[in-house]
Amino acid sequence: MLNFTDFEQMFSMGDDGDTLMMLVWIIPIVIFVFYGQQIQLLVTSGEIKKAIKKIDKFRSDSKKELIDYVKKNLDPVDDPTKKIEQFLDYFTIMPVDMDPNGIMDKVRHTVRSREDYTRNHVKSLSPNMGEIELTRVQTLIEIASSLQMIHKIVNHMFLTAKKQKNYPLILPLQMMLPFIMEHAKAMDASIPAFKTGQPLGDGIGPMVVGKMMLDKEKEIISFQTALAKIDYEQRKLFLVKAEGPGSTVGRPDDALQKIVDNNKIDAIVMIDAALKMEGEDSASVARGFGAAIGGIGTEKFQIEDIATQNKIPVFSIIVKQSVKEAITLMTKEIADQADNVRSQVYEMILENTLEGQSVVVIGVGNTAGVPQ
Amino acid sequence: MIFSKEEIILAYTVEKCPKCEKLNRRDFCEGDVLFNSSSKCTFCDGITTIEKIYGETLQK
Repeated sequence: MLNFTDFEQMFSMGDDGDTLMMLVWIIPIVIFVFYGQQIQLLVTSGEIKKAIKKIDKFRSDSKKELIDYVKKNLDPVDDPTKKIEQFLDYFTIMPVDMDPNGIMDKVRHTVRSREDYTRNHVKSLSPNMGEIELTRVQTLIEIASSLQMIHKIVNHMFLTAKKQKNYPLILPLQMMLPFIMEHAKAMDASIPAFKTGQPLGDGIGPMVVGKMMLDKEKEIISFQTALAKIDYEQRKLFLVKAEGPGSTVGRPDDALQKIVDNNKIDAIVMIDAALKMEGEDSASVARGFGAAIGGIGTEKFQIEDIATQNKIPVFSIIVKQSVKEAITLMTKEIADQADNVRSQVYEMILENTLEGQSVVVIGVGNTAGVPQ
Repeated sequence: MIFSKEEIILAYTVEKCPKCEKLNRRDFCEGDVLFNSSSKCTFCDGITTIEKIYGETLQK
């Protein structure tokens, strides 16, 4: 038989002497009902504070590395610190998109104006600066200003939630923080590779096409973009990549436009690095259709537009990698895929074109440390 | 973090002799650029070119 007094004793409801035990149960419940959000905010704040401290360290380190690099390698006329700090605070206001008609041209214009402005002002730091050094400093400025922006935004969201004592406001930040930290860590880790001119994971496309261009006559077809023409199995190949070994992605869209304006093109093959999904092997190679090119979207739009207007099929080969692998020194696994990707490019050309036809092969990505 | 290990990326340069096709891996030196002529081949009298530059992660 069940003895109900045992239950009463267990839950301390049996006699008046156990009122204290009852309070021990009830008080925390009351506290959590009224102050639960504040307690959660307090616990989450600790985690976010640590992350903000880390991002702040990345931000100040990147700025210090940039200033040291300019001082040591470029022999600047004056102390570059103040000027560099000004660059880092520069912002870009994207065009209004309520009426999307012509938005691509507006975005392209805004982004290129910013690039031109930075390039001209970086040049003014040191009159003797070469083109390769200039591209490196430009990239280091991009990294430092991106880290500064990430720090500002994360700090703003955190302080707003704290000021308003609003727990739900901090939730999106808590959810996004691991991804933000992954990007921030990758940017911090990429600085040595850019400073020493080492090839990046993203440089696999230029590396493949660069080797195909070796010992061939080259010309500059568009801004910071190289072109070489070769013959392969009775087909004419137009090889395009950013002009290395400086740190640039070139302007492959403008290059393609010029090639298509003067030649009849039958296929476009693009080689690029692509972000792998979780669970996928790093450095695995995949083939597909469509323009394989990242960035803000204006170049992809223009390439797709040219291909559509001229009815040119676009094939692509991608080498999968993580964010960190894409912007830090190329890993052995990715470098080992270069020959395989090159043979797949040739295979793709033979499979999809006939003798006498012309193909544009574009090596997409940052060409730091990769000449042609 | 208590359990996270510090990671160091070691950079290597792989040279290839166009004559005897032998590969040689050495530490990366500043100024090494892909596809550039590098040094004299240790197996024959050829001049090696830089075939690859890559990094390997070491956990401390």
